[in-house]
Amino acid sequence: MNTPQLLLSALALGAAYALVAVGFVLTLNAAGAVNFAHGDSVMLGGVAAVMLGVAAQAVGLTVPGIVLLPAVILIGAALGLVIGALGFLPLKDRPPSAVFVATIAIASVFEQSATAFFGPAPRSAPPVWHQGAQQPLAMIVVAAVVLGLVYLVLERTQLGRRFRALAQDREMARALGIPATPLIATAFAAGGSLAGLAGALLGHQFLVVANQGPGYMLKAYIAVVIGGWGSVPGALAGALLIALFETFVAASLSAVWAQALLYVAVLLVLLLRPQGLFGEPAGRRA
Amino acid sequence: MSRLREMATPAGVLVSVFILIAGIALARGGDSYAIRLATLAGIQALLALGYQMVFGHAGALSLAQGALFGLGAYMAALVALSAGGSGWASLSLPAAMIAPALLAAIVGAVVLRLETHYFALATLALAQLIHLGAVNWESVSGGANGLSGIPTLALFGIDAARGWPMLLVTWGLVAVIALDTAWRRAGLRGAAQDLARDHPLAAASIGIDVARHRYVEFVAGAALAGLAGGLQAHVVGVVSPDGADLAVMIGCLTAVVVGGRTRVSGAILGAILLVHLPEWFRWLENRQLIAYGLATLLMVVLAPDGLASLFDRALNVFRPRRRAPPLPALTPSATLQPVTTGPTLRARHLSKSYGGVRAVDNVSLHLRPREALAVIGPNGSGKTTLLNLVTGIARPDSGTVTLDSLSIDRAPADVVARAGLARSFQTADLPATLSTLDAVAVGAHTRPDEMARAVAWRALQRLGLEGDAATPVGTLPAGRRRLVEIARALATRPWLLALDEPAAGLSSAERAALASALSRLVANGLGIIIVEHDLDFLARVCPRGICLDRGRVIAAAPFAALRRNADVRAAYIGDAR
Repeated sequence: MNTPQLLLSALALGAAYALVAVGFVLTLNAAGAVNFAHGDSVMLGGVAAVMLGVAAQAVGLTVPGIVLLPAVILIGAALGLVIGALGFLPLKDRPPSAVFVATIAIASVFEQSATAFFGPAPRSAPPVWHQGAQQPLAMIVVAAVVLGLVYLVLERTQLGRRFRALAQDREMARALGIPATPLIATAFAAGGSLAGLAGALLGHQFLVVANQGPGYMLKAYIAVVIGGWGSVPGALAGALLIALFETFVAASLSAVWAQALLYVAVLLVLLLRPQGLFGEPAGRRA
Repeated sequence: MSRLREMATPAGVLVSVFILIAGIALARGGDSYAIRLATLAGIQALLALGYQMVFGHAGALSLAQGALFGLGAYMAALVALSAGGSGWASLSLPAAMIAPALLAAIVGAVVLRLETHYFALATLALAQLIHLGAVNWESVSGGANGLSGIPTLALFGIDAARGWPMLLVTWGLVAVIALDTAWRRAGLRGAAQDLARDHPLAAASIGIDVARHRYVEFVAGAALAGLAGGLQAHVVGVVSPDGADLAVMIGCLTAVVVGGRTRVSGAILGAILLVHLPEWFRWLENRQLIAYGLATLLMVVLAPDGLASLFDRALNVFRPRRRAPPLPALTPSATLQPVTTGPTLRARHLSKSYGGVRAVDNVSLHLRPREALAVIGPNGSGKTTLLNLVTGIARPDSGTVTLDSLSIDRAPADVVARAGLARSFQTADLPATLSTLDAVAVGAHTRPDEMARAVAWRALQRLGLEGDAATPVGTLPAGRRRLVEIARALATRPWLLALDEPAAGLSSAERAALASALSRLVANGLGIIIVEHDLDFLARVCPRGICLDRGRVIAAAPFAALRRNADVRAAYIGDAR
């Protein structure tokens, strides 16, 4: 592939990663805890897209993937709510590591359920738009529209202001009478739907495999660390950087080297700049 | 002997008896499959005991334990295969332990100081790197197919065949590790480790080197993961990338969470359940991994201390209630103050900024034994920051702090505490479930337990708290808990003591009692520096004081004069000039 083509596919990949990372940060900021099942929500979004595509074909409909996306988003939101209800709500007064362990357990349940009921073999989700060549462009457009909406909600609405208040100072937000629990539930739903959407977008080109969740989890995590813990624009930038890195290293060396060097890079970032490339100091917040 | 008694918890006895019975049953009629399963349970127990060190005792949520297990398996396989029956084969298990331990030692030096989520991410990245290596470095690891035909374990020419020999080797190692860990954690030393995990700052302030503790546990946990992996390679005869993937990690997390995060018997119990439950639930087919996840989730939510603690609580119902701790015998060495005179604390020209704010600006002070110095000033004037700079919790941007000739401005808090400068905090971080006596005795955990309790008893007496000795700390009112924290600081037998708002939350009677207790300590040779807002309280204890405003010393004088000083009044009431 030539450079413009590579750039396009890197941007498409980055757009999907950005959805994953922004969803992760939204939950992180509202709940103050890491949702480790986020990567498996991405995987299950892909599973949902595959299954919906199969179901549509079974009734004789050949529709582009974009028609299925609203349903995938709803399923993702439901998954997010399940994670919040089981892995966060009963543990909200306990140390953050309790939520961490609980969501690891949920991630494992998601992955093993997918292996058992969906099968361990990779499957392909329907393309977002009819022709394969337009797929990267369609991914970028869908992700841009959705991320634009998230931006508008965060910056221009009362809900968004409450979110930001909660993210900045949980205690103060509560003292001001901002209802934390409904907001946190909303964040889990939003995080889940962004993850599900990303899974459906990625599922055509990169296939859907039951055990791919931790990989996506790691990508979101790395994006957030690079962009600065808790920063939404940072997560977006981090996701794009990862995608560019992966695509170009994979093209010049190999996909395996792209993965390996990415992990080495994140260890180096944690070593040299634990505050992220543009963010706040690490280690201050849970 | 009391250590041994404390090691023998109900759950520990129960698990030991169960293992003994299971062993006898195996000997009387166990087939080779049952023996193999029991061996695998022992291997899982070693892995879980190792993970307990990292996640339970050090409180570091590592996600690399499964990958380190895989690394150990590959190392043992490579050594055993290339030794080919020669004497080198004895090195398979040492190699299996050393490689993960070395890797953990290198990575841990960098990532252990990171907070929970960053540490988890870093270890996850490490795990993924190991897994990538296993899949893709085909010339060494055999790629996706892995390595097969691994010979049985050979130690110095003696062949530990699969079956009984391997079972005994494995469970022998489990017994050694479990007893050693239980021994190291019995009594106050375990309480000190728990404090280091739950309240690192408080632990450092009584002289515990928290960073070292975390590092040692992380490296030892990695070595145990490798040992378990090496044994697994010899028992199963094949290794593949599956042995290094996240499922192994989830399994060992499950074992530790279900059994009990900090309980040795819990790790073993969790491991046995993890290996044997799938056998009992065959009808689940390959879906037992779903059940693992659900079980972990349920335990985290409903019984975060794990099965071992549930057993203990259930079995304690049948035991007579624990009587109040006996009055420790007072030995001469249990006195609090040294007979000789301690060092003088000198801070010179200390400055510290946070962001653009000068929290402490060119502050100097000195404090000798038998002296009490008050530090007053409005909220946000830098009083607590000053204490943090002096006690090694924060580092000054410029200026020096010395204890006689010893420079402590770059020393970490635990070194400062061991040099004889103890402190209390505004939030008393105490282990809620311990008795007050033991919570204080943790301050003297480096001594034998009986001696430490005697020191603690004396410290409680000094502050008039001996009536609370048997009460669980968590049930005391907030003000009293802070007195307990001061008693814990005293139990380190300091030369000098730094107190941060000790009178807050106390009734006026308690304040008066604390003031006279502190005065007696000073008369006996202790030097005290007190940050406090209650000026009447300070007037009873401190002959002189300094007043800070916006980080600067605006007045230093005998305390009575300090209270009358116009600048001090202006700083407190607002600039009226």
